[in-house]
Amino acid sequence: MKATSAKTERTPIESVEALEAAIARVRKAQEIFATYTQEQVDKIFLAAATAANQARLPLAKMAVEETGMGVVEDKVIKNNYAAEHIYNAYKNTKTCGVIEEDKAYGTKKIAEPIGVVAAVIPTTNPTSTAIFKCLICLKTRNAIIISPHPRAKKCTAEAAKIILEAAVKAGAPEGIIEWIDTPTLDMTTLLMKEADIILATGGPGMVKSAYSSGKPALGVGAGNTPAIIDSTADIKLAVSSIIHSKTFDNGMICASEQSVIVLNDIYDEVRKEFAYRGCYFLNDEEKDKVRSTIIINGSVNAKIVGQPAPKIAEICGITVPEGTKILIGEVESVDISEEFAHEKLSPVLAMYHAESFDDAIGKAEHLIADGGFGHTSSVYLDAVTEREKIDKFASKMKTCRIPVNTPASHGGIGDLYNFKLSPSLTLGCGSWGGNSVSENVGVKHLINIKTVAERRENMLWFRAPEKVYTKKGCLPVALDELKYVMGKKRCFIVTDSFLYHSGVTKSITDKLDELGIAHTTFFDVEPDPTLASAKAGAKAMTSFQPDCIIAIGGGSAMDAGKIMWVLYEHPEVDFMDMAMRFIDIRKRVYTFPKMGEKAYFIAVPTSAGTGSEVTPFAVITDETTGIKYPLADYQLLPNMAIVDIDYHMTAPKGLTAASGIDAVTHALEAYASVMATDYTDSLAIGALKTIFEYLPRAYDNGQTDEEAREKMANAATMAGMAFANAFLGISHSLAHKLGAYHHIAHGVANALVIEDVMRYNASEAPQKMGTFSQYDHPNALHRYAEIADALNLGGKTDEEKLENLISAVHELKHRVGIKDTIAEYGVDEKKFLETLDEMTECAFDDQCTGANPRYPLISELKQIYLDAYYGGTFTEKAMPTCINARAD
Amino acid sequence: MNLDNVVSVRKTKTIYRDGDRCIKMFEPGYSKADILNEALNQARVEETGFDIPKIIEVTTQDGQWAIVSEFIEGETLQDLMDSRPEKMDEYLELFVDLQIKMHSLKSPSLNKLKDKMNRKMGEANIDATTRYELRMRLESMPNHDKLCHGDFRPSNIIIDKDGVPHVIDWSHATQGNASADVARTYLLFCLKGNMPLAKKYLNLFCKKSNTARQYVEKWMPIVAASQSVKGNEAEREFLLSWVNVVEYE
Repeated sequence: MKATSAKTERTPIESVEALEAAIARVRKAQEIFATYTQEQVDKIFLAAATAANQARLPLAKMAVEETGMGVVEDKVIKNNYAAEHIYNAYKNTKTCGVIEEDKAYGTKKIAEPIGVVAAVIPTTNPTSTAIFKCLICLKTRNAIIISPHPRAKKCTAEAAKIILEAAVKAGAPEGIIEWIDTPTLDMTTLLMKEADIILATGGPGMVKSAYSSGKPALGVGAGNTPAIIDSTADIKLAVSSIIHSKTFDNGMICASEQSVIVLNDIYDEVRKEFAYRGCYFLNDEEKDKVRSTIIINGSVNAKIVGQPAPKIAEICGITVPEGTKILIGEVESVDISEEFAHEKLSPVLAMYHAESFDDAIGKAEHLIADGGFGHTSSVYLDAVTEREKIDKFASKMKTCRIPVNTPASHGGIGDLYNFKLSPSLTLGCGSWGGNSVSENVGVKHLINIKTVAERRENMLWFRAPEKVYTKKGCLPVALDELKYVMGKKRCFIVTDSFLYHSGVTKSITDKLDELGIAHTTFFDVEPDPTLASAKAGAKAMTSFQPDCIIAIGGGSAMDAGKIMWVLYEHPEVDFMDMAMRFIDIRKRVYTFPKMGEKAYFIAVPTSAGTGSEVTPFAVITDETTGIKYPLADYQLLPNMAIVDIDYHMTAPKGLTAASGIDAVTHALEAYASVMATDYTDSLAIGALKTIFEYLPRAYDNGQTDEEAREKMANAATMAGMAFANAFLGISHSLAHKLGAYHHIAHGVANALVIEDVMRYNASEAPQKMGTFSQYDHPNALHRYAEIADALNLGGKTDEEKLENLISAVHELKHRVGIKDTIAEYGVDEKKFLETLDEMTECAFDDQCTGANPRYPLISELKQIYLDAYYGGTFTEKAMPTCINARAD
Repeated sequence: MNLDNVVSVRKTKTIYRDGDRCIKMFEPGYSKADILNEALNQARVEETGFDIPKIIEVTTQDGQWAIVSEFIEGETLQDLMDSRPEKMDEYLELFVDLQIKMHSLKSPSLNKLKDKMNRKMGEANIDATTRYELRMRLESMPNHDKLCHGDFRPSNIIIDKDGVPHVIDWSHATQGNASADVARTYLLFCLKGNMPLAKKYLNLFCKKSNTARQYVEKWMPIVAASQSVKGNEAEREFLLSWVNVVEYE
């Protein structure tokens, strides 16, 4: 060994100037250390732990000799523990470079050292804490500068030196561990200010200094551990554990028991056991002598710290047998005015009576509040039968370690009596103790973890009703299933009064009669269905108890049917909760109730447009407040949709036009949505092609042109499937509120804004784009151009194609009799302007806004509304570069 | 300056009365800086409006420095306590109320209490380890800015004929933590050997000012160390027993 220690002479650090120079040197060494690999570090870690372990006995002897405190044999265990258990706990822990990677999610965690660690070492554990801190610093590629306690400076320095030499021999940079040789407050303060992080083990003064240094600190503080011995405890185990812990290194471990609280019914037995195992019970006179000696003005008398019980007795002027292990004072008060209630750092113990377990907990709480917030509390009981007591104790104790049936000193430092509690000689006390950590400090507190997060696309989906039946005359065939496949017995029909009175539903009820399925019809659905009518319908449902619901009609009847279905299955729901806006339907706060447990839901549209038969949406109006609740959840998806044009033929012209244009906007918005997928794109394009071709025919000859009706019916349902999954955009946000404020039919309202919205969305340099992982740049212009291509509208550039698409939409609207402006629909200008700001804000806050490719500013939406009222086109603010630069 | 009427004689100074003037004459060799500092302290405290004798002049006579201030006619609270022990509780109330009132005042130019303590720590004859512990303890104490007397005791309070108390002797005045001032007063009672009175005082102060007793106790090793500088051998052992304590680990 001697031959190898041909190393550079170390300059002792005995002044502030020398410390400043040392910090600079250590910083350089750490920069080199930071480049080491895990393999290099692990080799150093092993060498350092081995050297520390080998020096356990000489270091223990030095510590006792220098400080005059503690027990050599116990300090050997502490040194041994600090080397061995720390090594064992972290030998396989990754602390360098990539420590975790998830390729699917694209995340990588990279560990980096923190830099220079300032380590304050206490006088009570001068060598073991030094070993512990040096080892965890080496393992994490940090440099460490130790500020020892002046009373233990030599042994602490010796421990550091042994580890440094072994580490350097194993390849660590020279000077990676340093220590102050003659500590002063100025030097300690400087070190704490200059370091990158502080590991401060010491009294509250030290810990407070660490926290006020302005650098991150892992400081720990005072303990005042109470131990409760419950009536169900194993008394022998409890008493011997407490003696074992309390005498360990003469009671200097901060987790050590300071008070024992014993239930009355076993008190005498416990007392007898303590005496039997060598503890001395003080009489009243002796108690007073001990009180006035051990605690002076609330602080521990330095002379008794870490001394054996007979020596303390002698200092107090009393005589006890030479082999006495602990001095026990039986006292009553848990208040700090009682000296025995303090932390005593010596084998002096307070013992209390408790009338009940609750009384014991109350006393323990008080003792902790007096001086041990956040540290440790322990309990002895039957851990098999008394689970409730353990839970109660754990819930009441404001301590970060709660050992059960375990010596607190050994239990608190971890890995000796429980093998999941991390081994450590620096025990965090959480915010209760003014600490930044509440657990046992380890290597994870000494690394910075960088998380590399690669961009990943959001998972998307395609959902539709399990059954979609189509073709003229399919409804009765589909209904056969109710009896022959599903065995349904009671059917509830929801419709509006027009359809009911004109006999449209009769063909359904006849069919149900034929199948022998009982039925009833609710036909009070109004346009813009209200909560009141939905409640009435749900009440009728509750008395009828259907196992099947058929909602037949336009959007209103199908939406009302969905709401009644919800109220019927879950009468407890709150609409305010269900209608809460979300950014991502999968991450919403509210969990929608499970639907379909009572009734199967069938939707039958009687016009081509709304798509409600295949969507997870429903809108309901609270007639008392006027609030519209737009509900969205896949629980609201009908189980079956029946698209049968036998029910479409009588739809009037105006309805055919408005709902047809509604379907156009569904497809356009779903296609431009940030959530669009290949599946929804195909459906949207398919729907648009069909509508552009067949809507004029359906409009002109709707009562007779079955082909046009069927094409339109299917196109509307396809567009519904597209937006059921890709969602919509601001055309619908604007239309919803325009409808609500000025009673314009939904399809018409969309028609009035869609052209301006397309031009607005198509900006290549929008003020703000939509936030969605796969939406990587503003591309609505190109998306609209793709639609124009699919419709064969011609045009060379995307800009030309967009203009052609807007013109085509404009022409289609005219063709089916839709006017150009809001004004033309008779909305009073004054009233419009009065409501404009409020309406705009509501539109901005509409659920449909989220999927729009351009994230709108409220002022921009207002401009679109004004354009739609007066017939203008959206104009962008002037941009620094030519907007059409790419097209030139 | 009429020096016929000697009021009291102390080791390094003599107090005279000259009509309505009180002359505090310092022995030759007394630190000029300390004398001027005392006068400055007193002038600063005057500005707070607290009832204290006003400084009239600082002067010299035959090479001896003197501080001349108003003479307050009356008896010291100590004399009253000694002569009328039956009224002790009442006097103690007055004493504590006066101290709390003083602590509510601010005098931002006064020396800082912690600086003064830190200096005393350096002068105290204690070993390096204990000094390190004490400085660490002092460092962690909160930095307050309350007016502290530094030698607040019944003999430094004069009750005039109208029963109004006036606080004298501001040579140790600082701004800082009131609990340090209280710990000092407690220590002074203890040094006089009257432990029951000391305890009664501390309890009364803590109760009236809603201060935790431990908070005052935390200052005791520090004030004891600074008191030990004054060098009374008999008191030294007692003071060191207060100093030689450790904080929790």
